Amino acid sequence: MSKEKDYIIKVEHLNKHFISGGNDIEVLRDINLQIKHGEFVTIVGHSGCGKSTLLKIMCGLVSYEDGVVERNGHAVDGPGPRCGMVFQEHRLLPWLKIKDNVGFGLKGLPKEQREALVKEHLELVGLKGFENSYPHQLSGGMSQRAAIARGLANNPTILLLDEPFGALDALTRIQMQKEITRIQREQGTTMVMVTHDIDEAIVLGDRIVVMSARPGQIKDIITVETRGQGHMRNSDEFTYYKKKIYGYLFEDAQEEQYEVEYMI
Amino acid sequence: MKTIVRKTIVALIIPIILILAWFYATTRGNIPDGILPSISKVWQAFLEMVESGQLQGDLLVSLSRVVKGYLCSIVFGVVLGALIGMSRTMKELLFPLITVIRQIPIIAWIPLIILWAGIGEESKVVIIVMAAFFPILVNTENGISQTPESYREVAKLYKLSQWKTFTKVYLPHAIPQILVGLKLGLGTSWMAVVAAELIAATSGIGYRMSDARSLMRADVVIVCMLVIGLIGIVMDKLLGSLFSLFTPWKK
Ligand SMILES: Nc1ncnc2c1ncn2[C@@H]1O[C@H](COP(=O)(O)OP(=O)(O)OP(=O)(O)O)[C@@H](O)[C@H]1O
Ligand SMILES: [Mg+2]
Repeated sequence: MSKEKDYIIKVEHLNKHFISGGNDIEVLRDINLQIKHGEFVTIVGHSGCGKSTLLKIMCGLVSYEDGVVERNGHAVDGPGPRCGMVFQEHRLLPWLKIKDNVGFGLKGLPKEQREALVKEHLELVGLKGFENSYPHQLSGGMSQRAAIARGLANNPTILLLDEPFGALDALTRIQMQKEITRIQREQGTTMVMVTHDIDEAIVLGDRIVVMSARPGQIKDIITVETRGQGHMRNSDEFTYYKKKIYGYLFEDAQEEQYEVEYMI
Repeated sequence: MKTIVRKTIVALIIPIILILAWFYATTRGNIPDGILPSISKVWQAFLEMVESGQLQGDLLVSLSRVVKGYLCSIVFGVVLGALIGMSRTMKELLFPLITVIRQIPIIAWIPLIILWAGIGEESKVVIIVMAAFFPILVNTENGISQTPESYREVAKLYKLSQWKTFTKVYLPHAIPQILVGLKLGLGTSWMAVVAAELIAATSGIGYRMSDARSLMRADVVIVCMLVIGLIGIVMDKLLGSLFSLFTPWKK
């Protein structure tokens, strides 16, 4: 049982329902997932399958009824300072300047230290010089990068990223992928990233969690053996993983289509 | 630019017709001064009132009442509105009652307030507070309670204290709406002071009107009415122009 400690996140038999408008919606079914320190886990799945919900449960923003969710060996019962989250929408507060948004989670630090941290992280995401701008003055991609800076600023041991590069153009996206890999290597931050970009999931993930359509279940967890070897994107292995993931998701797509037809 | 010129011209059509009709009625017609004085008579009354300092004096009295009552209602309205907006229990406890009380027009409060607070300064201030309090309260409550869950979640994620969550998330979100409440509140307090002074007062612009009515001085009544309207517009615009100072994050 000494291995238990290796896991920063442990999810066992997690089920999640939402009651919405009198309807009981089953969102997650029997999720089992362990995440090791320093690991990079990516999650792919259809829209609405509960990926965001899973991340929010992990960081303590959404409650759960059944199952076990532990962070650092303790049952999750609320957000913790060392668990960061980058939301699907950037969620910068419109009334705060970028520097105050990035420093939003920095509490109890002397002013200079706080400013230094903010500056460091703005530079990290390529937003130097935008300290005093307001969010509405930034483009979608820049806002997303500011949100990433906010997530990293208080040096979390684990960072949950919910489609963080969704609003970025292909070029910036690849840059940010490199950047996040670098940060993860340098700081040893454990990362869990939801993405709808299968290439991204393969390039970044040590392991890829493939989820089924709602109710979200884990179809497979694929371990990427050759992660970080640069030539990934056009290797045979890459194609192999890609086909495999498409296969899983396509199964669902067909089921979904059937469901839709049935409903009509 | 052209649209502004056009708008101004269009907006002026009816006022000009009214003024011409007034002019025509009082020069050709046979209307007694006590009912409708001529434009020149009204103008003259205005000049007299300004020269004697009476108009300024009346306005000063009324405006100082407004300032007192308005400031009180801002404090009460914003604090209570924020509390109700933040707490479900407070809302369930107080909102139904507030909704019922709001249905009573401010004029209908005046007799009771006079019975309780007399016809002195206090009763005027109380009437103004009653008038401005509700729009400020309701708008503050609205702005606070409509803070999106997504922003609240950010505060929750970073474990901000209740107070910090209020000052960094709820309050800034509510500010535009609070400003709307402040604007409405200022308008209603100005109306309320005039109403209160019309009914029971020995000073102020409203008192001047009821005094002039008993003297059959329709010219003075009309001067007061026009000045009241003008001051209302000026206050509204002044407050409106301050808004951008409170919301620097909006363009
Ligand atoms: N607070 C909530 N109340 C009720 N239902 C919710 C709530 N949050 C999410 N849901 C429902 O749960 C399901 C999963 O939502 P979730 O946001 O986790 O999906 P997702 O996998 O992140 O989708 P996407 O890829 O589109 O972001 C959806 O059907 C959604 O309607
Ligand atoms: Mg999502």
